[in-house]
Amino acid sequence: MDAVNLEEPVAERQQLFITLYQKVFPAVARYVSKCGGSFDEAKDVFQDALLSYYEKSRSADADIKSSEGAYIYGTARYLWIKRYKEAQQTTQLDDSATADLAMETTIPLSEDKLLHFLETAGKRCMELLRSFYYDQLPMTKVAQLFGFSGVRSATVQKYKCIEKVRESVKQKALTYEDFLE
Amino acid sequence: MRTSLNNIAQTEAYLLKRANPANSLLFEAKILLDRDLQTRVSQQQQVYTLVQQYGRKQVKAEIEAVHQQLFNQPEHLSFRQKIARLFK
Repeated sequence: MDAVNLEEPVAERQQLFITLYQKVFPAVARYVSKCGGSFDEAKDVFQDALLSYYEKSRSADADIKSSEGAYIYGTARYLWIKRYKEAQQTTQLDDSATADLAMETTIPLSEDKLLHFLETAGKRCMELLRSFYYDQLPMTKVAQLFGFSGVRSATVQKYKCIEKVRESVKQKALTYEDFLE
Repeated sequence: MRTSLNNIAQTEAYLLKRANPANSLLFEAKILLDRDLQTRVSQQQQVYTLVQQYGRKQVKAEIEAVHQQLFNQPEHLSFRQKIARLFK
């Protein structure tokens, strides 16, 4: 894995996000502002809606690409009502309601530590796995980006990477057991 | 491919539901009989979860970078003003 060339997908995503930001963010901001929300709230829900769109549009059966604007706007609106409007109404009754919502996106501490470790020690493998499983790029594309001679060797490397990361998961489990005892 | 990698491929087919029903059933039976396999399957499931979290974290950072670009760079001034007017 020497000739890793990840600038291309990064640049493609950047272009996509800029386009969608310019296209949809003004409508989301207008809605949030009209309902009495702030710029930061608009930014928060828009970014999560954009992330959700990105993840949905990766899967092969996605039919949301044709209505990207409607999807992002609808999701952002829904999130804003959930997070800020309903939260406001329930705060008087129950303070824990907002705390629960915040928890949803938080990664548990032990996993976060492992993730941090993998980000540094296993970056190449994580990038390879991410391209295939998260970004769902075709294996031919993954092979090309990571400088493999073909799909076959990229696939073997993918399984080797799973093995490597699985070892870290195993190690973490052991350390955790030691810690408890 | 060496055996351990083939096992990973089989586990993947099972976990990501890409195995045919017969193989999937057979694999489930194997899991029930083999504690070590059980552990490896659950660890591999954790790997996919970690990869999702990793990818999501990176994309979130990329989106924030785009935000900073749009709200700080001079060429996007008119966009910025358009948004600023909404929150006056």
